[in-house]
Amino acid sequence: MKVLHSKSAVQGLYLLVVTTSCIVLTVCEAHAMHISEGILPLNWAALWFVVAAPFVAAGLQRLKKLSAIDLSFKPLVGLMAAVVFIISCMPIPVPSAGTCSHPCGTGMSGILLGPTISVLIAAVALLIQALFLAHGGLSTMGADIVSMGVMGSFAGYLTFKALRFMKVNLSIAGFMAGLLADWATYITTSAELASGIRGDSAFVPLFWKILIAFIPTQLPLGILEGAMTAGMVVLLYKKRPDLLVKMRVLKPEEIAI
Amino acid sequence: MEIFTEQIRKEHFLSRTDARVKIISSLMILVMVLSYRGIFFPFFVFVSGMGLCYKMKIPLKRFLLRFSEPLFIVSVVLILKLFFSGKETLFSFAWFGITVIGHSDGLMEGIRIACRIMGAVSIVAVLGFSTPFNEIMAGLSWMRVPRSFVEISMFAYRYIFLLFEDGMVIYNAQKNRLGYTKIRRGLNSFGVLAGSLTLKAFDNSHNTTVAMVQRGYDGTMPLLKQKPFRLAEVSLSVLVIAVMGIIWTR
Repeated sequence: MKVLHSKSAVQGLYLLVVTTSCIVLTVCEAHAMHISEGILPLNWAALWFVVAAPFVAAGLQRLKKLSAIDLSFKPLVGLMAAVVFIISCMPIPVPSAGTCSHPCGTGMSGILLGPTISVLIAAVALLIQALFLAHGGLSTMGADIVSMGVMGSFAGYLTFKALRFMKVNLSIAGFMAGLLADWATYITTSAELASGIRGDSAFVPLFWKILIAFIPTQLPLGILEGAMTAGMVVLLYKKRPDLLVKMRVLKPEEIAI
Repeated sequence: MEIFTEQIRKEHFLSRTDARVKIISSLMILVMVLSYRGIFFPFFVFVSGMGLCYKMKIPLKRFLLRFSEPLFIVSVVLILKLFFSGKETLFSFAWFGITVIGHSDGLMEGIRIACRIMGAVSIVAVLGFSTPFNEIMAGLSWMRVPRSFVEISMFAYRYIFLLFEDGMVIYNAQKNRLGYTKIRRGLNSFGVLAGSLTLKAFDNSHNTTVAMVQRGYDGTMPLLKQKPFRLAEVSLSVLVIAVMGIIWTR
């Protein structure tokens, strides 16, 4: 009976893998690092919502404060959320993984609008993606906000500020901010995934396995995110340096030079 | 972007149902799926969701597109759980000198997670396919989700199509001028694309605000007015949740 059970399980698995591969290879466009709907059990999903909540609240508070001064700030945040959404929908081929993937854009929004507003932008982009693209999920939104919004935005913002403080070139600072924002997101997602699906297994070995499994996609993707962030900062510097001053990315005297 | 449009079929009863009823029902079933310890309930929800999508006449391509990423995640989880989790050996084979062992308990755990993913995804897919975005936002606002969050979501949704079109024009122009033929050039082109979209976002936000202020914008956007709940819809929703609850407890 056990042999029969094992045999049918193997056949079932084979069928599932083949069917899944066929569907995925036929229609797949983007495999990013959002945690899929339903992957986290209720307790873990709830915990990540609790972790994300103060950051979202801080973002809302800052939004309220800034939009009271400048009426165009709320539309600007909405439009930046649209940009982040679109960037994370642009399929970029990743030859090493044989698939397509895409950057997050939160490093970029973190630099431009600050990390707390960037968390809010990530939350909006994640909500729309979860509802209409099954990219991420409603139940995993808390975890995705923590990895993409909080870790991505803060890693990008702090890296950029630290490198600029050390007088590092604008494009290199932008590149490093994008790169580290992406990799911080990816490492946090791996930790969230490992803690959510580990069951009775040990956390650390599973975390490393997940981290290694996504290296072929996420390593080049980090470079792409870095190049994108650097390109954005440099383009703004060349075309509209006044915006960088207005958003407090650069000081007025840096533009004069 | 066609994934957003045309999928709302007004003739279907789910599309006509109050968004608040659909959101509350979906969230309650989602909680049941996430908290269930077995396979049956999430699988039942998944099959029910598929049935509703079929009844709503969702095109196959759009349907597969919606489920492609969850299926990819499911396959990764199954492989991880089968080979790296569990103790009971199901099968083993030698591969380049390494003995690969598949575990039956790991596989069962993987299947349990896979069913949970597919069940949860199908609930949100039904909600997304049957409800326009502005109705979902009005429903969330009624559920006391902060107004600012709802407003910037509405702004974002409104401008996704516009910016996406602009982005595709730039992307195609770059591609036609061999902007993505080499890795370095491709990275530069993508950076310019992101920068151009950001510039457009700044310019559009300014122009939009000017236009909105001229029309009386004072910092808050109007949302859909909620109609009173219909007894039939609420009763049906309670019945569905009760039936799901009974299945969940078994």
